[in-house]
Amino acid sequence: MAEAIDYDAFRREVTEFALTRCPPEFRRLVAESRKLSRKVWAPWQRILFEHGWGAPGWPKEYGGTGWDHRQRHIFDEVMAECDCPPQYHHGLRHIGPVIIAFGSEEQKRRFLPGILDGSVWWCQGYSEPGAGSDLASLRTTARREGDEYVVEGQKTWTSHAHEADWMYTLVRTSKEAKKQQGISLLLIPLDTPGITIRPIATIDGWHHVNEVFLDNVRVPVANRVGEEGQGWTYGKFLLDRERLGGANVAPILKNLGRTRDLVAAELNGEADRLKREMLDQRLLAAEAELLGAQALGQEAIAAVMDGRPLGLLPSVLKLSTSHAMQRVSDVALDVVGERLAPRFRRVDAGGPNAEAPGIEWVQNYLYGRVRTIYGGSSEVQKNVIARQLFGF
Amino acid sequence: MPFTATPLVAGDAFDQASRIAAEADAGLAQRPDAAAEAAFLAQCWAQVVELGWPATILAEEDGGAGGSFSDLAALAGGAGRAALPLPLAAACAVVPHLLGAVPGHPLLAETAAGAARICAILPGAATDPDAPPLRLAGNNGTLRLSGQVAGAEMPPDPTHLLIVLDDRLLLLPSTTRGISCVVAQRIDRRLAGDWSFDSVPIPSDAVLARGEEVERRAEEARDLGAVLTCVEATEAAGALIEQTIAHLSTRVQFGAPLGTNQALRHRVAEMYVEYETLRGLVGAALKAVEQADRDAWRSVAFAKLRLGHAGRSIAEAAIQCHGGMGLTDGLPATRLARRLIMAEYDYGDRFFHARRLLAAKRH
Ligand SMILES: Cc1cc2nc3c(=O)[nH]c(=O)nc-3n(C[C@H](O)[C@H](O)[C@H](O)COP(=O)(O)OP(=O)(O)OC[C@H]3O[C@@H](n4cnc5c(N)ncnc54)[C@H](O)[C@@H]3O)c2cc1C
Repeated sequence: MAEAIDYDAFRREVTEFALTRCPPEFRRLVAESRKLSRKVWAPWQRILFEHGWGAPGWPKEYGGTGWDHRQRHIFDEVMAECDCPPQYHHGLRHIGPVIIAFGSEEQKRRFLPGILDGSVWWCQGYSEPGAGSDLASLRTTARREGDEYVVEGQKTWTSHAHEADWMYTLVRTSKEAKKQQGISLLLIPLDTPGITIRPIATIDGWHHVNEVFLDNVRVPVANRVGEEGQGWTYGKFLLDRERLGGANVAPILKNLGRTRDLVAAELNGEADRLKREMLDQRLLAAEAELLGAQALGQEAIAAVMDGRPLGLLPSVLKLSTSHAMQRVSDVALDVVGERLAPRFRRVDAGGPNAEAPGIEWVQNYLYGRVRTIYGGSSEVQKNVIARQLFGF
Repeated sequence: MPFTATPLVAGDAFDQASRIAAEADAGLAQRPDAAAEAAFLAQCWAQVVELGWPATILAEEDGGAGGSFSDLAALAGGAGRAALPLPLAAACAVVPHLLGAVPGHPLLAETAAGAARICAILPGAATDPDAPPLRLAGNNGTLRLSGQVAGAEMPPDPTHLLIVLDDRLLLLPSTTRGISCVVAQRIDRRLAGDWSFDSVPIPSDAVLARGEEVERRAEEARDLGAVLTCVEATEAAGALIEQTIAHLSTRVQFGAPLGTNQALRHRVAEMYVEYETLRGLVGAALKAVEQADRDAWRSVAFAKLRLGHAGRSIAEAAIQCHGGMGLTDGLPATRLARRLIMAEYDYGDRFFHARRLLAAKRH
């Protein structure tokens, strides 16, 4: 029998690591809710890798930690509590596990090390202009020519494509009657001729997402993961693995704490009493919702560890955490909106103090609208729940 | 026929303003950065001055058109349909009302003609937590102004500052020594300034008026600004609902237009209910202000309180219904949504007006 794991000792070990090994400047960025980029994520991934913690969710044979779900959850929680940057997910949590499950030995040798040590950066090219919630209607095609595919089409909303080296993408390799069939999963280096990446300006004034145009892009057949026409299954596998994502409420609780401090710091006068009390109440309501989600998250982890089905828990978690997160950012906007929403961007651009301190509260409120749109929108989650509740 | 919003004040002025706003919106979309947008906004401002907007409610003897408040509301409403990023309420109502403390002040005519562009700063203007608020201090018989104001809405290249502080109405050229300004664009693309005052001497002729009348005028001016903001935001909400319906009617997912999903139809129905009740309240507030009702302030406060809630919920619903598109800067609906979110903070947010209403109920 395996030795029982001392989870408390594990928690202490992770905390010690987080506090001593995560560069203070990274922790400050996270504590101030700043936007992060590869410049922060990659070196942090390198530090984790060197400690042997590069891939908490991977099996040991591929350089993972071999931790169980509870340990992984504790790790995520402690990282959030200590303001460490979250590990960038597209390689580590998305395509990495798919390659481990379905990739060839050659693909594992080629792609996993770069993900593990943070030297190679991935983005996800699933969505298209015509295929959002209805992803299976995607139209980017890959035509086989000898030992190459020729890819034609357009992806959109591709997060961080502008700083990525590779894109894993779903393409149509044949036209079947059922649109989920005939889809394949390709790995494409972004410096391949025929690829154009254009930024999409988002509501918060930042550059997160891109359009990726694929014009006669030649991709070796060896870059296909698994079998031709089975891409949808691999995509589903990925979604299933991500179903516990909503269980990590720690970063949101952390943000709630910061917002509470903001309320206390900015609304301390007698004239602000009414506003302060109303906002504190809204924060408490959000906290209650989050604590409920946290308890459900524990239940979900226990279920996974016992091999029980998760049922509707992931949808419930996604809906409630995204909602609570938006409620928290709504409160922050009410605190700072009057003085900071007018200073969205400097007209004379440059200068060391180009941004008003605290402007990220406004940016994060605006960008936070995405929480109920991506990763399975709220409406889509509700459809899933209702279908199961009604049985039709 | 899909929904089209009914203007609060319809007519030629409304139509003209909608057209100008749509043109400005299209023009701004072609500007590459904030500096280019600011330069373009200066052109837009010159255009509306040319059309006589700032002269609308000024008396004829002050170089104005002698129009009614309703004429101004028509312009504000039309401008709202494409979130025209110009300080209409401030320049056309708030500033003239404050200057009205000095009948016949030459700056009135200059404002109407566009030669003077005034940034108005009302009591309680925002300051950063670590910055000193505005303060007047006497020193050897000279009054000096110090402190900071954060994100004050302003016209392009403001020539003057009109400040209500304590019970004084101060007028200062913006080039006065000791005054500095950092210009930014707000989330609704309007211009705003962070003004710093470094012990600025206030000559006696810079104090235009003093006493209770100044305080009263400041309150009235804020309410005029608030009601025009409400009118403008109501029309923005109407346009936003139209655009959301258009999107949901054309965007196909799962083989059918999104608008066939009951969940989304209900969400739009909710937006509509929010909008209609807002429109009702704002219409009543507008009437109360036009008739100079004694209790007009109460209608204005309720309308602005409601705008805080309704504006944000309509904006958020519109973004949600647009999916990823709703997160893009390039979408007109996103720009309307950001205007609705911003409008809450102009002339007192929901908490400001709630406090007023509660205080009055207690007395
Ligand atoms: C900032 C950002 C980052 C992203 N990053 C990536 C990325 O890296 N890679 C990638 O591939 N994609 C990415 N996406 C895309 C994201 O997955 C899609 O936005 C999402 O799938 C929704 O699709 P859509 O935007 O086309 O909205 P639509 O599908 O058009 O939906 C619009 C609205 O209709 C609702 N709706 C849709 N179907 C139904 C229905 N049947 N019943 C009721 N309501 C419905 C939706 O909930 C939404 O409110 C990102 C998006 C954003 C905004």
